[in-house]
Amino acid sequence: MSVSEKKLWTAWSRFLTGLVGAILIGFLVPILVVVAVSFQSKSYLSFPPTDFSLRWYQQFIGNDDYRSAILNSMMIGASAAALATIAGISTALAVVRARAPGSAIVSTLSIAPAVLPQIVLAIGLFPISVWLGLQGTLWAVILAHAVIGLPFPFITVCGALTSYSNRIEIASMTLGANAFQTFRLITFPMIRPAVIAGFIFAFAASLDELVLALFLSSPSTRTLPLLLWEQLNFQVTPEIAAAASVILAVTSLLILAATLLPRLDKDN
Amino acid sequence: MLQMVSRSATTAESRAAGGAAVSIHNLCKRYNNFEAVVPTSVEIASGDFFAIIGPSGSGKSTLLGMIAGYIDPTAGRIVVDGRDIVPEPIYRRNIGMVFQNYALFPHLSVAQNVAYPLKIRGVAKHEIARRVRESLAMVRLEAFASRMPSELSGGQQQRVALARASIYQPSILLMDEPLGALDKNLRDEMQEEIKRFQQELGATVIYVTHDQQEAAFLADRIAIMRDGAMTQIGSPRSLYEQPKSRFVAEFLGEASIFPVKTASGKLTDQTCRITLEDGTETVIRTGEDGGPGRFACIRPERITIGPKARGLANAYTGVVRESLYTPGSIRYRVELKDAGCLLKVRALPQHNTEVFETGSSVDIGWSVDDMTILAE
Repeated sequence: MSVSEKKLWTAWSRFLTGLVGAILIGFLVPILVVVAVSFQSKSYLSFPPTDFSLRWYQQFIGNDDYRSAILNSMMIGASAAALATIAGISTALAVVRARAPGSAIVSTLSIAPAVLPQIVLAIGLFPISVWLGLQGTLWAVILAHAVIGLPFPFITVCGALTSYSNRIEIASMTLGANAFQTFRLITFPMIRPAVIAGFIFAFAASLDELVLALFLSSPSTRTLPLLLWEQLNFQVTPEIAAAASVILAVTSLLILAATLLPRLDKDN
Repeated sequence: MLQMVSRSATTAESRAAGGAAVSIHNLCKRYNNFEAVVPTSVEIASGDFFAIIGPSGSGKSTLLGMIAGYIDPTAGRIVVDGRDIVPEPIYRRNIGMVFQNYALFPHLSVAQNVAYPLKIRGVAKHEIARRVRESLAMVRLEAFASRMPSELSGGQQQRVALARASIYQPSILLMDEPLGALDKNLRDEMQEEIKRFQQELGATVIYVTHDQQEAAFLADRIAIMRDGAMTQIGSPRSLYEQPKSRFVAEFLGEASIFPVKTASGKLTDQTCRITLEDGTETVIRTGEDGGPGRFACIRPERITIGPKARGLANAYTGVVRESLYTPGSIRYRVELKDAGCLLKVRALPQHNTEVFETGSSVDIGWSVDDMTILAE
């Protein structure tokens, strides 16, 4: 590499670093603004904040609507993530290991919910949920969120399964283990980090989902993002910022867990 | 319930001890239009060490996969101790298998890996512990019981795989290129180990490799596979000394092979004269019909080089075209005068052996028993 080439290369990598920095700041600023706004005492959203107060957090904690919405969100998130993970493991096994006919189509369909417009899914699911008599129950939202959560465990488990040879499973079977024992004792422990990560991502996806919840829930099954949405429509107070900050904190923790837990699991 | 399981496992094991006889009848595997294994039949005696060798793609691993049960045969039967195992799922076949890349369970320790088949069979915990200790002692890995597979060397991993595949005393032990991933020195060491191991275990071993030296060292009998068929089966000696085809002669050891032009008929009751393509005439033992379309084959160590060659039934003079001293042998390529056929020669260096330089003229020859005729 000549000297001028080297200079060009250095300039280019500096430019890229700058660009990534700018993008990150662009993403982070609105988020930080929400957090900053939540820690003040004024009863309207003002920026930059002039004082520090936990007033809106206190109000948020004392609000029964928020409390039940958080409970709903947690129940829906955990159940939807569990369903998505079970479905994700099964389809990943069918696609990667069994190489069942139609694998390519199944694979595409399993990833589709991550890229398809959720409004389309919502419009389609609404009449189905009415027809099944699920409309307004927790189950309607759980099933819908399981669908949008599916791509995450599917992708992570597919990755884990392709990272090692199926020889290991064949070996287990030659040693006398049937398919179920092989899954329980060999396959599952091997893919467990991916399962944990996939579950957490599916949970996080459910936690901040609005569109499907808007269509499928009732006042009693309101999720936290839905409640925020409703609040925004008639009174904008920093309480919303406090609630949004809580969602942000929980989601961030989940993503942190999704990166750290599988690693810890692998070390054991 | 648990007791029943362990009791049935014990009877299966006691029946298995000593190795099973395997007879394969017209076993074949076809993928769409490709015949990976053509209908093949072979009998493998109880306790035999049977090696299958052949170039890659010759169907040897497919054959092994069908015996293990992870490849479904297109047709045919695999009879083990009088019972066809083709309809049985892999996990009921009670066959041990050692893979090229070991296929150890990376999330389990060495001891847990070796214990795995016993755990599956519902053997009692204290019994598992005892047998794992014994089994690891047999492969000299007692000190490594609590290590993870990733902390072991390739040779050690393969020994764990060996212990794991044999701890339930399977009647048949399959090995698919078990030493393929190891370096040369370790491979030699492991060959000794495998041989000793098989003798202690008494199991019938079916061993796939592409390394003919390894097969010759280990096996009682060798099958040479080519294009999905076993072209010749026999002891290492019979395959080396009486190959039936060019392919076998060249695959197993070195050979100089020449097309036969004419057979000029019997000289005596015992011998006849043949003419090779380049005009060289040579006398061979009869009973081996050396007509056109066939090949004459001679092994490099059967050729005598130097003054001693003068008295032999087939004596020629030649020119050394290549001379190479290697540990344990001197290798030459010698061109016969007025003929042009190039012979590979290997001489044993003893303290007074003369080494002929490239370009020198030498006497060269062989007796009537040294050349064999290949049918194809």
